[in-house]
Amino acid sequence: MSGSDASLAATEQTERLERVVIRFAGDSGDGMQLTGDRFTSAAAAFGNDLATLPSFPAEIRAPQGSIAGVSSFQVHFADFDILTAGDRPDVLVAMNPAALKANLADLPPGGTVIVNTDEFTPRNLTRAGCAADPLEDGTLTSFQVHPVAMTTLTRGALADTGLSKKDAERAKNMFALGLLSWMYHRPTAGTERFLRQKFARKPEIAEANILAFRAGWNYGETTESFAVTFEVAPATALTPGTYRQITGNSALAYGIVAAGARSGLPVLLGSYPITPASDILHELSRHKNFGMTTVQAEDEIAAIGVALGASYGGALGVTTTSGPGLALKSETIGLAVMTELPLLVIDVQRGGPSTGLPTKTEQADLLQAMFGRNGESPVPVLAPATPADCFDTMLDAARIALTYRTPVLLLSDGHIANGSEPWLVPDASQLPDLTVEFATEPNAPDGSGGFWGYLRDPRTLARPWAVPGTPGLEHRIGGLEKADGTGDISYDADNHDRMVRLRQAKIDGITVPEAVPDDPSGRAEVLVVGWGSSYGPIGAAARRVRRAGHGVAHLHLRHLNPLPANLGEVLSRYERVVVPELNLGQLALLLRAKYLVDVLSYTKVAGLPFGAEELQGVFTDAIEGVRA
Amino acid sequence: MTTIDLGLPGIGGQTLVPRSETKLSPKDFKSDQEVRWCPGCGDYAVLAAVQGFMPRLGLRRENTVFISGIGCSSRFPYYMNTYGMHSIHGRAPAIATGLAVARPDLSVWVVTGDGDALSIGGNHLIHTLRRNVNLKILLFNNRIYGLTKGQYSPTSEPGKVTKSTPMGSVDAPFDPVSLALGAGATFVARVLDSDRAGLTDVLTAAAEHRGTSLVEIYQNCPIFNDGAFEVLRQPGERERRLIPLRHGQALRFGAEGEFGVVRTASGGLDTAKVAEVGEEALVVHDATLEDPSYAFALSRLSSQDLAHTVTGVFRSVSHPAYDDQVRAQTEQARSTTPADLQSLLAGKDTWTVVG
Amino acid sequence: MTFVIGAACVDVMDRACVDECPVDCIYVGERMAYINPDECIDCSACEPVCPVEAIATVEELAPEDAPFVTENARFFSEPLPGRAEPLGSPGGAADLGPIGVDTPFVQSYLAP
Repeated sequence: MSGSDASLAATEQTERLERVVIRFAGDSGDGMQLTGDRFTSAAAAFGNDLATLPSFPAEIRAPQGSIAGVSSFQVHFADFDILTAGDRPDVLVAMNPAALKANLADLPPGGTVIVNTDEFTPRNLTRAGCAADPLEDGTLTSFQVHPVAMTTLTRGALADTGLSKKDAERAKNMFALGLLSWMYHRPTAGTERFLRQKFARKPEIAEANILAFRAGWNYGETTESFAVTFEVAPATALTPGTYRQITGNSALAYGIVAAGARSGLPVLLGSYPITPASDILHELSRHKNFGMTTVQAEDEIAAIGVALGASYGGALGVTTTSGPGLALKSETIGLAVMTELPLLVIDVQRGGPSTGLPTKTEQADLLQAMFGRNGESPVPVLAPATPADCFDTMLDAARIALTYRTPVLLLSDGHIANGSEPWLVPDASQLPDLTVEFATEPNAPDGSGGFWGYLRDPRTLARPWAVPGTPGLEHRIGGLEKADGTGDISYDADNHDRMVRLRQAKIDGITVPEAVPDDPSGRAEVLVVGWGSSYGPIGAAARRVRRAGHGVAHLHLRHLNPLPANLGEVLSRYERVVVPELNLGQLALLLRAKYLVDVLSYTKVAGLPFGAEELQGVFTDAIEGVRA
Repeated sequence: MTTIDLGLPGIGGQTLVPRSETKLSPKDFKSDQEVRWCPGCGDYAVLAAVQGFMPRLGLRRENTVFISGIGCSSRFPYYMNTYGMHSIHGRAPAIATGLAVARPDLSVWVVTGDGDALSIGGNHLIHTLRRNVNLKILLFNNRIYGLTKGQYSPTSEPGKVTKSTPMGSVDAPFDPVSLALGAGATFVARVLDSDRAGLTDVLTAAAEHRGTSLVEIYQNCPIFNDGAFEVLRQPGERERRLIPLRHGQALRFGAEGEFGVVRTASGGLDTAKVAEVGEEALVVHDATLEDPSYAFALSRLSSQDLAHTVTGVFRSVSHPAYDDQVRAQTEQARSTTPADLQSLLAGKDTWTVVG
Repeated sequence: MTFVIGAACVDVMDRACVDECPVDCIYVGERMAYINPDECIDCSACEPVCPVEAIATVEELAPEDAPFVTENARFFSEPLPGRAEPLGSPGGAADLGPIGVDTPFVQSYLAP
């Protein structure tokens, strides 16, 4: 063996690449999310920039081997700063026929396919709906195919562990990870350490996984099937500092913890489990030491109710949900608008309407967030652009809620919730100061010594936050219309008209940063306006367009309500405004209505992010349209 | 799943609420708002009883909060000179739960009705009861929808003719006490709006209970369901219908105490003539029984036609309160793990990019 | 205490109010009826049913009826003629039946 090892080492070539996109795909029980996650961590530890796109079925376990049961994880890593998880994988790891069939169409010709041949049995081929074996019928002729008997090899590697055949075979995902780690020169110590921690209570399982991982690595090194390995150097363009990998949901949870710490308020999260928002509840429930209280409520309505009750008591109330849950929370958001209490409402959007596509992404809750309540019920709306941006956006949302005493809606989505990227860890002491002052003294301007609950701060139009327990400020609030100033119930027509306009003016007056489009050329005639998770694809497409010699400007809106004060002026500077959205044109509708700009709406609702190549075409067409 | 014994002390319902340094009077609890219920409404009686009872609790007025949903009775907070919130239909228990969890120093009261608590808000009520949040819930049951002008409610009797049931209601009603016991309530009582002394006794016991106290108040709606409970007030009728509960005493009723409550062969309860069964056969009331089946059997003695109506405290048992346990976990976490935001943000896997 | 029965009731005593009171706090003397200030819940059910408009809130009471604020209270807080103990708050008039006596002021009251 040593002789052949030496000869292999001598013939092995290493090719340097700027970027690689790998997609791990298998049955939902195959551990593809874990495999992808570990590969990502290793890439992060190596210093690559990266972005990920997990995709999994709504069913916990769809029928084994079926197309519906395919789960995948795509990771894009590079030696420069990248914006998306990549349109198409360069490498597809397919653990069974269904995974191959479901993902092959995304692979460009010449792409690499690594398949677990053990799973290409007649039964699995039938389950995947393959009339013939794609490994033999010519389906893969235009690809570089590496057939590997992963299950058999894993079982062989674990023969001496005493594990059952079934348990041993379950480690085949680590075999795949080991093989890919070898191919791309990934560090291995982190994964071995991770496995020992993850299976701390079952050391025999930990060792089995490590054995499988090493077997995969050794397989790459010892067979002649893989003549070339690849290197992707650490990214150099990143801002210096300490980085970690983070998902959008984790960043939102940390943002909530930070908002509590920087405001000095206890935080109470009321939440009802819903995909894809539940991870925020899971994460926060682990941080009770930071004064995070989590209440898993009986339903979505109770979840926002407990949050609002806590806000009334002087805590920072937070509720997390996804689209259908937001619909249920509408009435309580309206109560928070009426009672003018701080409240954070996080909607991790998913495909809709109704139950829709729970595990797929969409941006179709914008109009629900803006208008989905009875009456004139203005609510600030913010949307993070990337997983890491979730942290800053959360703090911004908390600033608005606390300063203006209003519910605030934050629109994340399934793509950034589960996707991850490197995050420049912020200095906690430099985060914004969110300190608030509760009312402590009677304020009645009539000299009565009483307390007026709706006397506004002339600067922010916010009303005083007088929490129970404060002597002399006893007052009653509720959903009925309030008299301007005193806060007593009022059915007066003129008062209602005034209060409706005051509530709107308060939200319209929120301080929002000016819109500054990104236009390196300074000569772009086409402006692309996006919001939320389309930041990556739009940015990547804009780079492609610019590399092709065209100018294009990109403006990404974090603040959707109120919009930046200069937005109308910015839009008017360009010949054409393009708005790509994962809905049927909701932001486009708002921009057209508010600014009378004939925006070009480009929409897609396929449960997936935009592709950079796809948007490149849209932008190029728009540019050529202007020139024509 | 593992369970962890939190070892919480059994404390009174208002133990953590600061006491008033000055002696307050019922007048101190009256707000400046004009009371706007219909003339003769039973809600006035409850309001008067609560305003009369509050000073006895001796708590600081500013640490007292009334939270209501929607309905006639939910106007209640506006008339109390305490903190208060008139919230959304059915959701008061949820909002009050958030407040109670966040603020152990507050005495939190929920005012609700049969429509608010049992129909639109039924889910929140049962979950609040099973969690045993330290809230005092006053459920005004008038067996009708008053604010919407007279439709049947989840406690209306079958066959009831209302605006929405011209041929009579075909809904089977809830017994709120049975429902609460079924949901695991640790304190359940029933009282009549016009029984000022009974109301005060029950409110006192409810306030002292740590956990959720549910007090069902039979309340007359003089406009849409007038006289619904009249037979329970009429001399001559009420004595043979009302079965008052007194802890430690035999269950007897009737003008001369000629009736009593006995156990049936099937394990339930029934009424009997004392002369026929003998005094020794009478059930002695024990509200502290852990097994809720006794209290449940008591609740089933009451009938929708008011032939028998049990009043007083059905059940009062000590279980850990939800909010206390939530706070205990927070305290435990705080005492064992420092809240270091910087290390939380950095996590365990970082790498450094050098400029 | 909000609602009070005034002079117009004296020697009329229609008793419609007694039937109307949801907490049974209107007690019948010899010449007039009295509202127990501690038991009254301020619900105003009695006020509109009085055929002689004898019932009003303290705030709305006719000036000449001012003494009756005290008399309504005194009926319960002081021993009535022929009784050793004050009535106090019995918790309902029906069980007691008509009391049959008035306060000394009402006993000797002469309509103007």
